[in-house]
Amino acid sequence: MNTHDPFANDDASGATPPSDEVRAGEYVLGVLDAPGRSQAQARIDAEPAFAALVERWDQHFAWWLLQVESVAPSAHVWPRIRTDLGWPSVGGARGGVWNSLPFWRAATGLAVAAGLAAVVIGVRPPTPTPAPPAVVVQPVEPPAIEVPEAPRPVTVLARDDGSTGWVATIDPVASEVLMVPVPAPADPAGRVHELWLIAEGAAPQSLGQVSGDTAHTIEVPAALRDTLAVGATLAITLEPQAGIPHAAPTGPIVAKGGIARI
Amino acid sequence: MTDMSALQSDAASDVDALLTRVARGDQSAFESLYRSTSGKLLGICLRVLSDRAEAEDVLQDVYVTVWNKAGQFDAGRARASTWLGTIARNRSIDRLRALPAPASRAPIEIAENARDPAPSPSSHAEAAIERGRLDDCLEQLEPRRQTLIRTAFFDGATYEELAVRSGSPLGSIKSWIRRGLMQLKACLEQ
Repeated sequence: MNTHDPFANDDASGATPPSDEVRAGEYVLGVLDAPGRSQAQARIDAEPAFAALVERWDQHFAWWLLQVESVAPSAHVWPRIRTDLGWPSVGGARGGVWNSLPFWRAATGLAVAAGLAAVVIGVRPPTPTPAPPAVVVQPVEPPAIEVPEAPRPVTVLARDDGSTGWVATIDPVASEVLMVPVPAPADPAGRVHELWLIAEGAAPQSLGQVSGDTAHTIEVPAALRDTLAVGATLAITLEPQAGIPHAAPTGPIVAKGGIARI
Repeated sequence: MTDMSALQSDAASDVDALLTRVARGDQSAFESLYRSTSGKLLGICLRVLSDRAEAEDVLQDVYVTVWNKAGQFDAGRARASTWLGTIARNRSIDRLRALPAPASRAPIEIAENARDPAPSPSSHAEAAIERGRLDDCLEQLEPRRQTLIRTAFFDGATYEELAVRSGSPLGSIKSWIRRGLMQLKACLEQ
């Protein structure tokens, strides 16, 4: 093989420093150690010719870079970016979750999540269905999953980025809501998740704390039973643990979803 | 900002347009850019860092950089997706180098006559994903150079790590990769 290697004459043994061309390639490939990277980065800033070599390699390897599978970031990342930039953590104009394609894509994964809920909690579907694969729902790529029959309609509480935060299954007879979270990192500020029930045009009413990593059932107080109906919205905010249930939300909304069917 | 679905289905050229607006200080374009590209960029960070908290921390940093440096993006020279992806990847590798030595990762099989290069996300997804020129050119390299270059790229592994994981001398690893890179470049720039 080496006899036909057009670069056999190029001393690439590692003993001599490589050419700029190779050095730039090594930087982009990612094989340099920390000092090697700092050196290359200093040259990129100082030497346009070297920077051009790096850019060329970036473009050569871009194909692989863009083949990497997408993973929806947690809801807290965007507000932190805004904070780092000195902006208010919550943006102004919003298109609203209803116009959001990721939301609807997430919704296509809901039956899967509902199936998981049935498995986790032991709710029996009307007819035995095979356990769905334990997939992480990634709404950025539409999941190509055959949707199993859901035991009960569910409400998806979507995060800001369109990913599914929680899936709620409402039992109107028992006046309960089963909340199944898609686990996400805990709030670094130590706040907890509080669930709110919002009738159209009305103020949010707290249903208490909801877990961000474990499925559990939340009892709906008798006074709110009638509000737990189609057309109402379930929303989750970050709140201080003390004083739950609060009279009104104070923290940012991390996920929400409208109840379309019960 | 009202039609999120249009943004999500944007083609790469729309990402170029968004980034160009971001360069002019358009905050709503920045939010749209985040929505349409953050999943891919987190995927890139996670490929190198594995740890989600670290990857999201880097991602946060990446977007702050994107806002501050969008003016340096030149739509005539690169696609926005490449520009963004490269920042995410470089920041991730820098973070990886700054972390305590990672738990040793899987050994690399580089038998000279190995038929299949080590599994990697790109080969794993090959059935579903269009092959690129890069893949075709890589395939012309001898198997162990293919394996090393793929592993280096997808794991962000240093020469030293590759030497340990493959059980080969550092000098040989450097030599194989450097020659592989030059062959790859010759093929890609034909």
